[in-house]
Amino acid sequence: MIAIQLADVDIGDLIRAAKKHGTGAVIVFDGVVRDDDITEMELEAYEDIAKQELQNIAKDATEQFRLLHVDIIHRIGRLAVGENILVIVVAAGHREEAYAGSRYIIEAIKAGVPIWKKELTKNGGRWVPGEHGHGRPKTS
Amino acid sequence: MTVKIRFFARFRELLGTDIMTDVVAGMMFSSLITTIAKKNPEGYDAIFDEKGTFREFVILMKNGKRIDIADAAKTPVEDGDEIAVFPPVAGG
Repeated sequence: MIAIQLADVDIGDLIRAAKKHGTGAVIVFDGVVRDDDITEMELEAYEDIAKQELQNIAKDATEQFRLLHVDIIHRIGRLAVGENILVIVVAAGHREEAYAGSRYIIEAIKAGVPIWKKELTKNGGRWVPGEHGHGRPKTS
Repeated sequence: MTVKIRFFARFRELLGTDIMTDVVAGMMFSSLITTIAKKNPEGYDAIFDEKGTFREFVILMKNGKRIDIADAAKTPVEDGDEIAVFPPVAGG
């Protein structure tokens, strides 16, 4: 499942569904709202484009690391401290591919998928600065 | 000709989003965004430098494809285009 959504997900259900024939390892990445002296976090996405880019990343990772299953669920809207922001579930035959595929996916998301985070505080809010000025390299 | 302009994150807060605007044939990407951004000086300053060129971190898209800043002044907008302008992404 590749999704950008308001609702949370049941990670247990995702793990159960990820265990396809041949699976030897399932890796879960769960990015959560950190308690950085904030009240909430607000997430915004360029939804159509972001979903398309998540699908491209999942496809690239599947091919590159021989993954058997990929879920990427990125949440938007207002989230409280401790809530899930991003859940990535990958399954592969062996741990090396599963770890590498999971890492590839999170780094690719941070590099270029059009999603933004605003930390809301008692005194207002601040947009989280991106790590990559120009985003993911253009693909033709 | 009508195009849709979408700003995101801080740019959206300053300039709004889903702006439908009429443009003349042959109008270039950079001219269109300059015109729209000038409606709010703070929004303009967020996107353009003192020379009136896009700040180096600004990301531009036309119909879902990234446009290099260097090409924005020679990229025409066309009827039905969806133009997007946004700051560096910070998902994950």
